[in-house]
Amino acid sequence: MERRSISFNWIVAAILLAIAVIIPFVLEKHPYYVHIFILVFLFGYLSTAWGLVGQSGQLSFGHAVFVGLGGYTSTILFMDYAITPWIGMLAGVIVASVFGIIIGYPTLRLRGPYFALATLAFGLILQTYVVNTQELGPIKLRGAMGLLLPLKNGGDAPAVFQFATKTPYYFIALAMMICAVLLSYLLNRTRIGFYWTAIRSDQDAAESLGINAGKYRLLAFLLSCALTALGGTLWAQYFHYINAERGMALSLSIEIVLVGVVGGWQTISGPMIGAMLIIPISELLRAELGGGFAGLHALIYGLILMGVILWLPRGLNPLVMSGLKCLGDRLWSTNPAVNTPGIVGGSGKVEGR
Amino acid sequence: MVETLISALVAGLLVGGLYAVVAIGLSLIFGIIRVINFAHGSLLMASMYAGFWLWRLCGIDPYLSIVIVVPLAFIGGYGVQHFLIHPMFQRERTYVVEPLGVLLLMAGLDMALANGALLLFKSDFRAVTVPYGAAAIHLGFLTIPITRLILLVISMLLALGLSWLLSRTELGNGIRAVGQNREAAALCGLNVYHTYALTFGLGCAVTGFGGCAMLPFYFVDPSMGLPLAIKSFIIVVLGGLGSIPGALVGGFIIGVVESVGGQFVPATSASIFSLIMFLFIVFFRPKGLMGVLEA
Repeated sequence: MERRSISFNWIVAAILLAIAVIIPFVLEKHPYYVHIFILVFLFGYLSTAWGLVGQSGQLSFGHAVFVGLGGYTSTILFMDYAITPWIGMLAGVIVASVFGIIIGYPTLRLRGPYFALATLAFGLILQTYVVNTQELGPIKLRGAMGLLLPLKNGGDAPAVFQFATKTPYYFIALAMMICAVLLSYLLNRTRIGFYWTAIRSDQDAAESLGINAGKYRLLAFLLSCALTALGGTLWAQYFHYINAERGMALSLSIEIVLVGVVGGWQTISGPMIGAMLIIPISELLRAELGGGFAGLHALIYGLILMGVILWLPRGLNPLVMSGLKCLGDRLWSTNPAVNTPGIVGGSGKVEGR
Repeated sequence: MVETLISALVAGLLVGGLYAVVAIGLSLIFGIIRVINFAHGSLLMASMYAGFWLWRLCGIDPYLSIVIVVPLAFIGGYGVQHFLIHPMFQRERTYVVEPLGVLLLMAGLDMALANGALLLFKSDFRAVTVPYGAAAIHLGFLTIPITRLILLVISMLLALGLSWLLSRTELGNGIRAVGQNREAAALCGLNVYHTYALTFGLGCAVTGFGGCAMLPFYFVDPSMGLPLAIKSFIIVVLGGLGSIPGALVGGFIIGVVESVGGQFVPATSASIFSLIMFLFIVFFRPKGLMGVLEA
């Protein structure tokens, strides 16, 4: 029975993947919709990366900074040192990890809110610093102007991560999101994943069994920083622009948190589901309301966040998963070949917890 | 040079009074309820808007509006605890150890308040103009604005008053008992959730008091909350989670560091000092300078 339910989830995943592959060709005439899908994948990716920290039982409020660090590193290397962003994104990973250690090492050993506060403070302070700094030694941060990516060959140069159409970005974002979700899924089946679950559920019990909670939390955080930095490079390359006002902003951190929480905090597929819901809504709101009602957009975000925490503490993930399971049972039970007493009504463990 | 330093020191102490006034309420709420009140800055903003509109529409002096704003802030805080956090606690105590959900809830509340204010009042900076707004004491080369001095005194009085309330009254004993061990307090017959709500209300009332006293010299705008709240978090960690005198001292330290540091490096770089200090404290003495809670 277990086997059936899991294979059904894989079938659903395959169908969704097939649809996702077709979309950019169907919507070739509507780049705006492709853009929305790219954003969905980008935020799905970022929130999945953010969720790794959550799986180890902590909460990061400064993940936008790592988006910014990744994007800034690869873009500055490209602008001033002519290093292709394909390599620059790895440099971004290193920079983000170094900052991750500085923030994570002192705070993740402790219980209580220190880590959440440190990420929050770090985000705000680094953003203020970058916005107000033109040059840091040899590094040209360019202050509030941000970094405008110079286009090579009119923006059609795959060797430097620049593409003429949205389709390659679409597939890169899709692949990154799938990789992140798979990574998170696989990690949950390894020793590290079990340690995270143990630490999250009961730190005392986990430590009494000899698990070094600080170490494994730091591991989760660094992995998360590294993935987020890769997302930052994609961000900079896709928009051809990155600035600290947006790319390191608390509002972006909160958006990442919101997507993760609405989909299902501390679940594997939750961030993906959250992105599919939140990002189109937010884009539609932005397009419909325009600049007329400043604040309404974020007001709705805040209310959604409160509502989900109060009434759906595990997010939409369980709803979607049980919906899928119902659908699976329905489909299977109409198939006479499988409709045997031993199999009908079997409830398998669904993907994600 | 010495004169500049002394002026910077005095300016830092005055700013520190402002930080302390915001941090005291936060520290009380954190120390007792163990909730990181993410929305603290926005609650401050809300009470400052209340004071501003009382002045604008009814011509009530900001210092007089304390009489109206403080009870409102208390009711608001009581309501937040009762209607938002209380249901979370009842659910969380069964299966979640760290109240991270409450943190997210308060982040949502902060967004809703800040952007609700943006929607209602636009992003204009509002200021109250009072006849004594520019009055200052001149001591040699020093110029001390009266309104800031009043806030400094108020911050110290509030810290003293709150400490007295916590250590010398029946209510304070109850609050501290609930903060130390809520199960034991409940066994002794205390209404834990009512006490929590009173504490939250008290923290908000203190903040509202400070907010009104800030009005004569501080601009109100919808996005003022979070930066002040984050600074207060740093102060509360520095002074010691849950310690009221710690919040006062931490506020002065951060104010002075920023102000004196700002003499040597640009002000934006000076703000990095506070983060570095925060990390150092967390690294070497997580319970803070005067902390009562073990990390």
